[in-house]
Amino acid sequence: MIEAVQLAKRYDKNQPYVLKDVNFKVERGEFVFIVGQSGAGKSTLLKLLIREILPTSGTLKIFGQDLRLMPERRVPYLRRNIGMVFQDFRLLEERTAYENVAFAMQVTGAVAQEIARRVPAVLEMVGLGDKLEARVCDLSGGEQQRIGLARAIVNRPSLILADEPTGNLDPDTSMEIINLLRNINIRGTTVLVATHDREIVDRMQKRVIHLEHGQIAGDQKKGVYARAF
Amino acid sequence: MLFNDFCYAWKEALKGLYRNRWLSLASIGVVVVTLLMLGLFMLVSLNINFITTSVKDQVEIVVYVADDATAAEREELHALLSKNEALDEVRFVSRAEALQRLKAQLGNLLEGYDLDAENPLPDSYEIQTSLPEAVPEVAQELEGYPAVESVYYGRGVVENLFTVTNALQWVGLFLMIGLAITAVFLIAHTIRLTVYLRGREITIMKYVGATNWFIRWPFVLEGLILGFWGAILPLAALYFIYGAAVDWVVSNNLLFLNLLPVEGAMLELAKYLLPLGIGLGILGSAFSMGRFLRV
Repeated sequence: MIEAVQLAKRYDKNQPYVLKDVNFKVERGEFVFIVGQSGAGKSTLLKLLIREILPTSGTLKIFGQDLRLMPERRVPYLRRNIGMVFQDFRLLEERTAYENVAFAMQVTGAVAQEIARRVPAVLEMVGLGDKLEARVCDLSGGEQQRIGLARAIVNRPSLILADEPTGNLDPDTSMEIINLLRNINIRGTTVLVATHDREIVDRMQKRVIHLEHGQIAGDQKKGVYARAF
Repeated sequence: MLFNDFCYAWKEALKGLYRNRWLSLASIGVVVVTLLMLGLFMLVSLNINFITTSVKDQVEIVVYVADDATAAEREELHALLSKNEALDEVRFVSRAEALQRLKAQLGNLLEGYDLDAENPLPDSYEIQTSLPEAVPEVAQELEGYPAVESVYYGRGVVENLFTVTNALQWVGLFLMIGLAITAVFLIAHTIRLTVYLRGREITIMKYVGATNWFIRWPFVLEGLILGFWGAILPLAALYFIYGAAVDWVVSNNLLFLNLLPVEGAMLELAKYLLPLGIGLGILGSAFSMGRFLRV
């Protein structure tokens, strides 16, 4: 699913590497935490995976395709197969829950009937079946992140990338969001979560890749956040 | 583009215009003001052209034949005028005919004068030419012939007319270019503001896998709609303004101001303003988007 070999990234020739000598593989159906402190390179890794930026050296393959060789016009189609979840939700706040999720389907050219059928089902799945017409700005942080999740899965991607999905949420709500991600994972979608939320990582007992100063400092199956230090 | 995407783009464009309705109105306002000024100037310039052309058409040379010219000299002059290709129409006016005309024009003012007995008017030639610029030269040449008493062509007036119309056309051209550049700048700037306000939306679209054209279309259509209305409104305003101007000229008997007919002038104007407005709108939006698509 994902394969990084000697992956390195720096934003400018005069600046130090943000990622260096990064090697790892993620198989289909895995649930992986990427942990590390701010500035460890988590966000850079996620940006590389959705090809917002290109590696400086090394290879990064996703769905078997080398991202450095991927032409610009293929990028939208890569992203349709990846669901993104953000710390700040990145929703259109003036619009309804339904519109925010439908938006992601319209972009792919889905037909109206398909959108009308699928969007309520997905919102139901994340527990917002009764909030279809609620405007995002009237909803709580936890509810907004559920919309974010619904938007990420509505196109049935094979990979979910979540960048600090619980960063703006209280512990209980965080756990609900992570449980939703686990449920999505159980249905076969590969999930990658970048976080520094120690409690969640420790409770989930999933694979943990630990980044430190841009390098992999640990990679454990059923790992915990604490042990990596 | 799929039919689905096409409908989506139109819907989004209209929604976008409505959501940012104040900014949309401002953009239309900018286009309206610039195109209105441009249109006014074009109308003036079209009419100056029209008047100049009709005045040019009326430029006429009158050659007065010397009373003491011999028959041979008269013959020579007649032959010369007849074969000159720059002269379209050469008409001989006998002194008797000239007197008839004078009587008709002045009517009873001539009562008491016995002009038939001693006609003071000379024979003459009235000459029309399609090359008004050549008139001074032709006149000078004719003055050298013995059979010619004098040549009249509104000396000075013709030269001045050409200088003035030439200058006006140049000033007009520069003004129009200046206004067009201002319009492009203002429209691009206003649309950039719309795009900027929706930067978040565009970024999100990129993350969920929208192609650049999928994102661009609604904005291009928005630009098209803005440009279209920005051109239609000044055209409508100019229709009324110009119509009123023509009515005023007619009702005040200023018929020497030979203005273009309203419909014709408007069609001519629409030919420029509509494509210009729409083109400016589309270009403005397309150029304003670049930065946001790089995600």
